[in-house]
Amino acid sequence: MTTAPFIQCRSLTRAYRKGATVITPLRELDLDVPAGDFVALMGPSGSGKTTLLNLIAGIDRPTAGSLIIGGVDLGRLSAARLADWRAASVGYVFQLYNLVPVLTAYENVELPLLLRRMPSRERHRRVALALELTGIADRHDHYPRQLSGGQEQRVAIARAIVADPPLLVADEPTGDLDGESAAAIMSLLVRLNRELGKTLIMVTHDPRSAAHARRTLHLEKGRLVADDRPNAEAAA
Amino acid sequence: MARLPLDYAVRNLGRSPLRAGLSVLGACLVVLLIIAAAGFVTGMSRSLRASGDDRHVILLGAGSEESIERSEIPASVGSLVAAAVPGLETSMGVPHVSAEVHVQLPVRATPDADNPRLLLIRGVTPAAMLVHRSVQITEGRFPRAGHDEIMLGSAAPRQLGLAESDLAVGSTLWIDKSRWTIVGRFAAPGTVMQAEAWTALTDLKAATKRETDSCVVLALGDAEFADIDAFARQRLDLELTAIPETRYYAGLASFFRPVQAVVWATALLIAAGGLLGGLNTMYAAFSSRVRELGMLQCLGYRRGAIVLSLVQESLLAASAGAVLASIVGLAMLDGLAVRFSTGVFGLVVDHTVVALGLAAGLALGLIGALPPALRALRLPIPESLKAA
Repeated sequence: MTTAPFIQCRSLTRAYRKGATVITPLRELDLDVPAGDFVALMGPSGSGKTTLLNLIAGIDRPTAGSLIIGGVDLGRLSAARLADWRAASVGYVFQLYNLVPVLTAYENVELPLLLRRMPSRERHRRVALALELTGIADRHDHYPRQLSGGQEQRVAIARAIVADPPLLVADEPTGDLDGESAAAIMSLLVRLNRELGKTLIMVTHDPRSAAHARRTLHLEKGRLVADDRPNAEAAA
Repeated sequence: MARLPLDYAVRNLGRSPLRAGLSVLGACLVVLLIIAAAGFVTGMSRSLRASGDDRHVILLGAGSEESIERSEIPASVGSLVAAAVPGLETSMGVPHVSAEVHVQLPVRATPDADNPRLLLIRGVTPAAMLVHRSVQITEGRFPRAGHDEIMLGSAAPRQLGLAESDLAVGSTLWIDKSRWTIVGRFAAPGTVMQAEAWTALTDLKAATKRETDSCVVLALGDAEFADIDAFARQRLDLELTAIPETRYYAGLASFFRPVQAVVWATALLIAAGGLLGGLNTMYAAFSSRVRELGMLQCLGYRRGAIVLSLVQESLLAASAGAVLASIVGLAMLDGLAVRFSTGVFGLVVDHTVVALGLAAGLALGLIGALPPALRALRLPIPESLKAA
């Protein structure tokens, strides 16, 4: 018996209309990603990797084709249901962290949990655990301006995992960091994938970051041109 | 729908203390203006309403229903009506019938003072004190006939633009070109009479070289308005018209309704200007946070929840301004004497006016935030995440 892939794209297409011109950053993509996989998306600018990431994250909608994640057809969800799905199923790690400057690290991490009915004690436990897992617990009462880039990204990752979503998406998570911080963040993401079983989809331009993934997809002009699995053994 | 915590809205106000301060100040000024306009209209209406008594009737010259000052009736009307109509209110046999002359005259503190101000001078007999019971002599005495004496209402100094000390009992005033001695002060709270000067009827007639009275004001007692009306209709030779005192002042109030409308229109136009300024501030504040708003949507917050939070932020600033304006309005505007052609009346900042101000503040916060919030959330999430 074969289990259905966690992420299933069939003829996935995203097109935009810009005046009289139709731009298609993603064309008829077929892709299966099993649960717990770590996929790096690579390709030149305009290849469609961020478009694919946004579709998988549920912040954009396909123009054609289907996208089923965890058995849910995202194309059939209303805007409100899609927002609820995001809250429950996906954690997003941004290149520029996107922390709320007027909230402390703790409060930033707490934000996704405020979408759920949950006793405050349980909320506190989960935030503390997420901060602990990302190694930033000692800075829980610091504001973003008081943190380094690497520390801000740790807080952002804690925010992404605090609701325990099965899927993490990361858009250039090390793109704004120095080498040392980038390596530390990649180690953290690998741990989340290996130890917590999170399915991780990451857009990157950096081959060193991509090397941590089990699978690297190369896109060009909206099409999948290569599917490398150098670390596939590790997934087994 | 899960909401963002109120704390998020509160702290966002602190992102730019200058912007928050200006928002609060702008809302405060707009609400204060609305409170002032409402206080003016309420004060004027209340003053005119309080000046009329539903058991009083005014006998005026036919055709002068809109202005006592333009009215002329024979000096005999007072005694004729008292004799002809039974049942008028009396005190120790004296009927409550007050023959009066109303005339606006230029008044100066000294004979050579520039820019005299017009003051309503009411020529009366002692019977006026029986009819106008809200009038209480607070200092000195009633003017005697034949001595060019006057007594001043409590708001007369403001009407004349003079200090209280300039108008103390015993000092003099120049009315037209004659010298008058102030012999008393009176209060008539909430009525137009408090901004008048009263003198003896005969002295005022002599000073203005007139033989007629302006009107007769009488208290009905057991009589009815129909009795007075019948008297006026039967005595065609006197050319009279009878009008209930409340209806006379209601007519004055409706005469000033266009003025009140202009006051409202001015206040609302300035408020609209304030609203546009507020909108501009909020557009700038929210557009600088488009990426953050996109991030919140990524986390799963619905647009409605984010709009609500942005509106809360604006409402907080506007409410703070409105509360501040209400406090200032109550402390500084309530009772503030305003000089107008009806006389002097006090601005009224009561609970209705304060509620109106607070409601205007909330409306300002709501209307000032909704369009910028909706605009900030107009972009698709991927686009907003790319915003600077």
